[in-house]
Amino acid sequence: MVKSTISRRQFLKSRNSTKRPELDRLNPNWPSKRVAKLYRTFLESKPPIYHPPHVYKSAPSLPVTSSTQTLRDADWNIEASAHLLNQTVFGPTYPEILASANDSIENSVAALFTPLDSPEPPGDWVNEPAPQWDALTDEEVMALFEQYFEWMWEMANWWLIRMTRNELNIRETMTLFWHNYFATAQSKVEYPQAMYQQNTVFREYGLGNFKELLRRVTFGPAMIIWLDIHRSNKDAPNENFARELLELFTMGVDNYSQDDIIEASRAFTGYVTNGVETNYIFETQSGFGWWWWEGHDFQEKTFMGQTGEWDGDDIINIIMDQHETAVHICSRIYKWFVYDTISESVVNEMAELLRTNDYNITIALQFLFTTEHFYDENFRGSNIQNPLGLIQGLVRKLGMEEHTYPETYFLHSQEFLGMTPLEPPDVSGWPGYRSWINSITLPARKLQAQSLVTGNSPWGSFDFTVDVRALAQSMYDENEEGYASVQIVRKLGITFFGIPLSEHLEGVMLDILLDGAEPYDWSINAPPNDAQWNRLRDLILYIMKLPEFQLS
Amino acid sequence: MKRRDFIRTTMALTAFGARIPLMAIGKNGIQSSRRASWETDRIAVLIKLNGGNDGLNTIIPTQDSNYYNLRPNLALTESQTLYVNEETSLHPSMAPIHPLVQEGQMGIIHGVGYENGNLSHFRSSDIWVTGSSADTHLQTGWIGRLLELEYPDFPGNTPNHPLAIQYNSANLLEFKTSESNAGMMVFDPEIMYNIIAGNYVPGEDDPAPDTYGGEELDYIREIDILSYEYAGTISETASQGTNTVEYPNSNIGYQMALTAQMISGGLNTPLYRLYQGGYDTHANQLNDHSNLLGEVSQSIASFLQDLSNQGLSERVLVITTSEFGRRVYENGSAGTDHGTSAPCMIFGPNVTPEIFGQHLDLTDLDNNNNPWIQYDYRQIYSSVITDWFGLQQEISDTVFGSTFDPIPYVLEPLSVKQPPVPTKFKLNPAFPNPFNPTTMLSYTLPRPSNVTIRLFDSRGSEIQTHRLGRQNPGRNTFRIDGRNLASGSYFAQIESGGTALSQKITLLK
Repeated sequence: MVKSTISRRQFLKSRNSTKRPELDRLNPNWPSKRVAKLYRTFLESKPPIYHPPHVYKSAPSLPVTSSTQTLRDADWNIEASAHLLNQTVFGPTYPEILASANDSIENSVAALFTPLDSPEPPGDWVNEPAPQWDALTDEEVMALFEQYFEWMWEMANWWLIRMTRNELNIRETMTLFWHNYFATAQSKVEYPQAMYQQNTVFREYGLGNFKELLRRVTFGPAMIIWLDIHRSNKDAPNENFARELLELFTMGVDNYSQDDIIEASRAFTGYVTNGVETNYIFETQSGFGWWWWEGHDFQEKTFMGQTGEWDGDDIINIIMDQHETAVHICSRIYKWFVYDTISESVVNEMAELLRTNDYNITIALQFLFTTEHFYDENFRGSNIQNPLGLIQGLVRKLGMEEHTYPETYFLHSQEFLGMTPLEPPDVSGWPGYRSWINSITLPARKLQAQSLVTGNSPWGSFDFTVDVRALAQSMYDENEEGYASVQIVRKLGITFFGIPLSEHLEGVMLDILLDGAEPYDWSINAPPNDAQWNRLRDLILYIMKLPEFQLS
Repeated sequence: MKRRDFIRTTMALTAFGARIPLMAIGKNGIQSSRRASWETDRIAVLIKLNGGNDGLNTIIPTQDSNYYNLRPNLALTESQTLYVNEETSLHPSMAPIHPLVQEGQMGIIHGVGYENGNLSHFRSSDIWVTGSSADTHLQTGWIGRLLELEYPDFPGNTPNHPLAIQYNSANLLEFKTSESNAGMMVFDPEIMYNIIAGNYVPGEDDPAPDTYGGEELDYIREIDILSYEYAGTISETASQGTNTVEYPNSNIGYQMALTAQMISGGLNTPLYRLYQGGYDTHANQLNDHSNLLGEVSQSIASFLQDLSNQGLSERVLVITTSEFGRRVYENGSAGTDHGTSAPCMIFGPNVTPEIFGQHLDLTDLDNNNNPWIQYDYRQIYSSVITDWFGLQQEISDTVFGSTFDPIPYVLEPLSVKQPPVPTKFKLNPAFPNPFNPTTMLSYTLPRPSNVTIRLFDSRGSEIQTHRLGRQNPGRNTFRIDGRNLASGSYFAQIESGGTALSQKITLLK
């Protein structure tokens, strides 16, 4: 709960009096040395985090269409529908893929963007105010750190559940996308309230106007701490945020000068937070209170050739007017949804669309998802799934999202797989692409996937399993000709593989399913305890062993 | 058991639940096939003393009165310690390796670190494993870059043993290559093999489609095959190997026992990284530090004895490293806080039995009240590459971005052989990239030819031309200077005999 701007007279009064206004508790110099030392000790008792490497890949060149015409109706088939849903939501099921294929591409794409209600927060603690650190004893401080650790843990687990209950909507995917884009790590932010607030910003503003999203992220407590905005004041402006704002969040590395960074960092001064509240008001686009008047640099600055008494919002406005900003945003979107090597013409078209539509992210995405380029055969199965997409998606695909899992099961496995939520390796996010797969993570991915069937992983065990009979029956269409077993194999291929099922693999899968029996022996209506369902379970385990399974 | 302890305990259960076999199951000395370009069977075992080892209480300056003055509670009296020479002795818990001093199998290097030492565990560890300076953030490991230079087609075209092994699941940054990871995490070989082999499905009958999806499928298949081969090799050599001595019943003891077992069984992996945690002794140092040094000393002594019994000890070199040292003065909790430089210890029959450098001058401290460094840690690693493994100086220069003077702690350095003449004209990844202000291009020529190097800006204008004239076949390097250029992307092109290869490099000022 943030106090409103005090009037000029009140401010002058407080400037002259020895007693500082109550807003002084927004102390940007926390933590005190004592608290910092305690925190260091606390951190050292936690296991270190796995950091995947960056990847530099040379561009291969395959003949991909650069046509951005809307995909023709004749090409909008079940494979195209699967391709769309597998890139845009966590774990679409076969019935959902089929329903989308039977509708038009425009409707299917639009449905992904249906407005949703906000989810319930993980706990009341999201509104817990920041404490007066220096009024606490050492024991109380340590107890509070434990409490924060618990809440952060709850936050991460809550988010993972949100991913599995995404209502076939792109919103959770975009929340993760923006988390990677504005990568902020809880280990430096420390306040679970701030990380939660940032997460809700991604969810609520992530599909609208990019500038508004940028503002909401910039002036939130998490980012202010993460990129040292609160340490930036007129006597010592801190360049960290300005640099990453230009290099990573908007224009990209070639498009500004070192002087621009210096001037921008002068504008981003005087904004502080106590970890939960800030001294910024969105409606008036200004800071307030003692720290603002004391810390902000009100002098003239020259940024991108324009001179004025710029503050943070002014810098953002100027950046958003630059041509390259839209290109950079669209490149990042393209790399996430299409392929690591971008098509410049498609990205430029998306960028133009962004510029002429008030930077509306939904419009750019909907455009991308209807182009022939997006559905080019070359891109089918070219996405090495990120670990959260793979595992959380799998939970939903197997219809297992309503179960309660051991609380270490997802989070501890992610430390192995390389994508601990709320803990990106650095501000440039997860490098992704091939860095997800190496001789340690690949066996771990298979193991974690299979544990949904076996109930057993190094990171937790449980006694429920996937209901393979229900899964098969959800795919089965009695009006289709041919054997049920053949049908199920084909549809499993569509659900789990991005690369079209080869004849060889189809044959192998059928062999496993039938295990020597004839195709007509296999019945969709066999009772639940029939041995044939064990074969289906074996087949699903087999699918999870295949390299193809890692791709979407 | 708290949640955050879970992963370590779990790893302990799965990794270290198997018993160490003391009798060979059936040793017939089969070696894993060595198709490597690596021409030696020497092995380097690097042990990280995790947390910041207090070097001053490890290698003790017995004649320095400041040592006793600055550490009234922590200093070890001369009579307690183990004699090395008139002014040096070892912590008493290092008794198991004290005989090695007398046998000339130990070397000591004082004051190892890097300029502007960072006092954060995570950042300093990252610096050490990436082989960078304090102000640079690299995303590949020094071992990763080394292996990438030696095996440029990784994961293709590699021997069937892992190129590097570590036992700890965290921070594999040391083995990261530009695209992947050349290291392998090993836990119980049999469990590992069962998990990995049980999950392996060969896909040779089914060629990948000619699409981007197919390309990614090929990559994943290669990693899959690699993991499978590695797991098989490890399991096989471990089962054929043996330990001839007892090892201490601790985490580090197990790691060394398993390493010895695999070497004994014929595994030819050249690089191992072991971890021993707990050195961050801010409080209660006397007890904790003593236990830790005792554990690691016993493990190293057992390791060398074990391999010596089996006639294998000439092949190994053991080096202890730590992300930093500790302060010269004690704190109020009978401990010490983070410092900068610390000694590295080198063990093995092929080690120069000398002390390199001086004891720290405890009165001459930097602005942070920490001791100055005497040797850059990259000198140690560089000597591993050139003296121990016998690779060319240029390889070390490319890995670390410049030349770091070797320290002659290897008794018999391998002579540098001329590498076989490459058959291809090849341009290696520039290092560093992004860069400021210079970067090094390295390329190989199949035959003597005229070489021209050009630099283009991002618009395609040619802004630098360097005609280098006739160059020799083999590996050559050229440094691009960006001091007079603006930040941005450039293309470096090398042209020889009518063929041009180019690469994008980024100058970030």
